Amino acid sequence: MHKQNKFTVSHAPFWHDGSSIKCMNLNIMAAALPAVLFGIFQFGMPALGVICLSISTAMAWEALFNFISKRPITLNDYNAGVIGMLLGMMFPATIPWWAVIIGTFVAVVVGQQVFGGIGGNPFSPAVIGATILMVSWHTFFDFDATLLSYDFNFTALAPLAALKHQGVSATGLFNLSDLVIGKEVGAIGAVSGIGIILGGIYLILRGFIRWEISVSYIAGILVTAGLFNMVDPGKYAEPMFHLFTGYTLLGAFFLATDSSSSPVHTIPMFIYGAMGGLMTILIRNIGAYPDGTFFAILLINLINPLIDNIRPKALGKGVNNA
Amino acid sequence: MPVSGTITNISPVTGNTGEAVTCLTLETNTNQEGDNEFAGYADTPDIASAAEYLQGIPGNPPLKLLADPGCRVTKIIINAVDADLVSTTQQFVMTRFRDNIGKGVDLLKRLTGIQDIMIALPESMSKLGAFGGMNLIKISCDYTDSLPEIIIQKHLGIFKAPRKSFEDTGICFLSAEAVFALVDSYDRKEPVYEKFIGVTDKNGNTTRVKATIGTPIHRILTQLGIEAVEKDRVIIGGPLRGISAYTLYHPVLPDMDTIIIQASSEIPVISDYPCINCGNCIRICPANVPVNLLVRYLEANLYQDAADSCDMLSCIECGLCSYVCRANIPIFQYIRLGKRELIKLESEIETEAENA
Repeated sequence: MHKQNKFTVSHAPFWHDGSSIKCMNLNIMAAALPAVLFGIFQFGMPALGVICLSISTAMAWEALFNFISKRPITLNDYNAGVIGMLLGMMFPATIPWWAVIIGTFVAVVVGQQVFGGIGGNPFSPAVIGATILMVSWHTFFDFDATLLSYDFNFTALAPLAALKHQGVSATGLFNLSDLVIGKEVGAIGAVSGIGIILGGIYLILRGFIRWEISVSYIAGILVTAGLFNMVDPGKYAEPMFHLFTGYTLLGAFFLATDSSSSPVHTIPMFIYGAMGGLMTILIRNIGAYPDGTFFAILLINLINPLIDNIRPKALGKGVNNA
Repeated sequence: MPVSGTITNISPVTGNTGEAVTCLTLETNTNQEGDNEFAGYADTPDIASAAEYLQGIPGNPPLKLLADPGCRVTKIIINAVDADLVSTTQQFVMTRFRDNIGKGVDLLKRLTGIQDIMIALPESMSKLGAFGGMNLIKISCDYTDSLPEIIIQKHLGIFKAPRKSFEDTGICFLSAEAVFALVDSYDRKEPVYEKFIGVTDKNGNTTRVKATIGTPIHRILTQLGIEAVEKDRVIIGGPLRGISAYTLYHPVLPDMDTIIIQASSEIPVISDYPCINCGNCIRICPANVPVNLLVRYLEANLYQDAADSCDMLSCIECGLCSYVCRANIPIFQYIRLGKRELIKLESEIETEAENA
């Protein structure tokens, strides 16, 4: 044989649609930006500080864990960045710095890296981090207390806490359009309903999150809250109030849609989302916590492997040829 | 023109998926006459002589299968849709020789005794007048609609079960090129060995060439002035299902419809990332295989479990899962490897059982 060129020999397919994890994560961060910017605008420099600290420490924890576990540094896929950003969005602007660092540790290391890193986490890492903080130091998530130093030009009450403690009459204090725009007391990235919806719709259109989950989650919220409200309007708030307060929208578009802890088949996605909405409202209406979004998402993450077994029959399965 | 010559070298080669292939090197001798034995059978077409002399004609018709007395085929589908993207050879052949199709159908009926013959065509082509009175299957131009498993499922309602062959469904696919090559061979009273190939260069320009089976592909590329340099990829058979050749001495094969030269800068990278469960493969899989779970089993070398609980054997090898994989996992490669390993595994168990 003559001297030959060495060609690249690899396996089909020889084309790829060009998508990548890095591209997905950058887009998720970009989609979260409107809500984050609104939060920074509303809560000022402390909010910017929390977001920056959260992103940077999440990345630092991942790098540190990569180093300790002798694996290649995976910061380049921006996965830790997304976790940090989402976690920062769930914090009030005045949360102490050390709590942010603990939160990102729990989210990145306990929530994801110990399970083998990206793709291995059974729960949404950001929700794990936020939930551990909320259960351990619940005063940080008592927005009325943490945001006391602010002087707002709107009802300075955390809507869901007001609903919990003062009953449904408190919902009259809030203007729905204020809630949609984000003129409410809450977490940095969770107040701007319109910002989150814009980001979420962008992600759905680009295919970075699965629309079935977001849509059924919101439907679950509206239907369950609607039923409660129908049964006893004097005791339970209206569905739209639930939709635009607390972490509902953040959960629907950014938290429940975490790819490795959510189902991929059509029917399971609808069950998963609807269960999330249902549990959120159940916890809010008859549970002990003002906002049930975190727990609801952890619960649906838990049932995900089970319900994702509901899938269409594979081609030719169950057929017996001659 | 076909050439004859002396075999100067025989060497075993490992094929792309590990199968054993024999490589013959011929020293051509232009003075020598080809043999004419087939001419004696050409006036009285029968399947036995066809299987004997026409096995390697363009399109690789499964004549050996049809000649087998135990053959269970009851329906023949002449396939004029190209299985892979980019490739247009079958459509081209069907359009160009469509006036011969009636002859081809008659010949097939006479050869095989099977009266039930259908023609699978791209939708647009069925408007051409040449197919009056024939059983047509109109195939849309969406990818995977052109794959045999999907054709019989969508248009005939027949499913091919995993582990079964097409023969088990009673259906036999013949490419359009194979049918016309048969007609041609009987007309000329000698086997034809020239086939059409679409050659795509690095800029995506496709040239159609006619080449004799067995020609090393570097000759075709030289003729066309296409250069393949170090680290480029030489793709044989199409971008989603083909194979990549490691040498330009790779011969033209009877069923080789497409040659693509891909520049090294265009080759997508493959990563060792785990599946992140984005669900793209699930949405696109035409066979409803739970690819996200399957790839986890395959990465752990659990081939039996992959087949039992994740429907590995239902895969029809369209390659779309790897194409859309966000984590750039070579899923298709894992699946092919898994299928091969499973066969090995099962035959080992069988031999053990026999020896015990």
